[in-house]
Amino acid sequence: MMTFLYFIPNSWLPLLESAFYALIFPGFVAILLLAFFIIWFERKAAARVQMRYGPLWVSKRTGGIIQLLADMIRFSFQEFIIPQGADFIPFVFLPGLLLAFSVLPTVFIPIGPDYSHIFPSNYSLLLAVAFTLVIPVYLVALGWAADNKFSFIGALREAYLLVSYEVPFILAVASAFLLYGSLDLVKIVGIQEGTLPGIILNPLAAIVYIIAVIRATGRVPYDIVEADSELVFGPYTEYSSLMFGFVMGVPYIELYSYSLLFSVLFLSGWAPVTGIGFLGGLILPGIVTFVKSVIVMCFLVFLRAVYPRYKLDKAVRAGWSWVFYLALAALLLSAVVSRVLW
Amino acid sequence: MSDQKTPRKSAFGEVKGHIDALATGFKYFVDPHRMTLDYPAEAMELPKNYRGFFRLVDEKCIGCSLCEIVCPSNAIVMMQLPVAQSPAPQAGAQAPARPGPKVKKRPVVDWGMCIFCYFCVDVCPTEAFEPSSIHDLSYFEESEYRPTFEGFLKLPESPSKNSKKVVAKLDEKNGIKYEEKGDKE
Repeated sequence: MMTFLYFIPNSWLPLLESAFYALIFPGFVAILLLAFFIIWFERKAAARVQMRYGPLWVSKRTGGIIQLLADMIRFSFQEFIIPQGADFIPFVFLPGLLLAFSVLPTVFIPIGPDYSHIFPSNYSLLLAVAFTLVIPVYLVALGWAADNKFSFIGALREAYLLVSYEVPFILAVASAFLLYGSLDLVKIVGIQEGTLPGIILNPLAAIVYIIAVIRATGRVPYDIVEADSELVFGPYTEYSSLMFGFVMGVPYIELYSYSLLFSVLFLSGWAPVTGIGFLGGLILPGIVTFVKSVIVMCFLVFLRAVYPRYKLDKAVRAGWSWVFYLALAALLLSAVVSRVLW
Repeated sequence: MSDQKTPRKSAFGEVKGHIDALATGFKYFVDPHRMTLDYPAEAMELPKNYRGFFRLVDEKCIGCSLCEIVCPSNAIVMMQLPVAQSPAPQAGAQAPARPGPKVKKRPVVDWGMCIFCYFCVDVCPTEAFEPSSIHDLSYFEESEYRPTFEGFLKLPESPSKNSKKVVAKLDEKNGIKYEEKGDKE
């Protein structure tokens, strides 16, 4: 393994592996490229369904794939305006914190069987879920800090939806835990490799998870928080320049961590590919997990082309009625299946 | 209205509706029916009598202000322009009985307010407005857009001057299809 790096002392190798993991794949660089791709895909897919072309004129041959790069360059030369009534410290620092917390769950989600020597944990599922649930608190604070009616209403909507959809989400994860009987995600994938993917063992939990993810990341049927035709951009209304680029990227990075968790929990992670070592046990299985979660993300952003927006009251009612019942049914199904199988 | 309720679907019907919607979306995603015109590269050929931009022929205009009066959107403003004075009369020649006017009134159209009703073109007693078949106009800067007398004397340049002219045709599969002009004629 890694014989081409013979000049590096052996004791440094784990550190280098961790650095590669955090910075390049599936960490920082991969997430950045993926965010660029998924935003382009979202706009392009919606355009195809709605009889348009989508982004086209920046690099016409590739179908406008570097449109977002052009936008980012434009953002970086704009002025960053801080409103007079805004609470300075939260207003300026919360977007960065939000970005950090949206990436953080990926640390606890393994992408290969040999992940345990990078981040050994028996409670990785619990940690990943706990850190995804921190994000909405910062979002509410951010909407409060901006001192703008649209931001404030967006933050209030986030709080309403938070209490209605966090419960089904936690129930879906709990039914996955009940199904596999473990909180270690590496073990969970091992169990799925031995039997069937989780989406076949407990489809109800997968459906509830997907619905909760659509809500949590504000994808289209539930884009009530951002709602660009009612609230300008929800809690992010007052942000301009590069800071706007940050807050615009946050839901997509959130989507990435949720999709990664979905592919590990329900799509049997790196299932066909296993191995040991850095390359065979982390990178090659990692690519499989990554591709699976990209497909999940593509499906979730594709919904923009099909659905209109739900009303707030309908979304809250759905969250406390049929989604909640479905989550309870998923819990029951998990209990039955786990009793039958093992 | 409060006692009216939308008919409740069965749970099965709702799930089927969602699946149908997703299937339709996916069908269009795989096989798109695009209706967009690739505008600067190709432009639609419009009917001949479609009213376009017009210019002022300065020699014909008598400054009667009828166009300003008739304009329903107040897009026309009469400007007062200085008249170049005729050279001083030579010795011996008879001096003009009355000196000519020092200013002349000329109309200027603000294209941002014009609704292209052509009332001014119709009302002009000397036919001083020259209509054209240019229908599109674009500016890079706001200063170019401000109406001036000099700008009104010549026709604006169309951004689709060199583009391929197409004709919109109804199409059973696509809805609208664009064909190159002269295909069917």
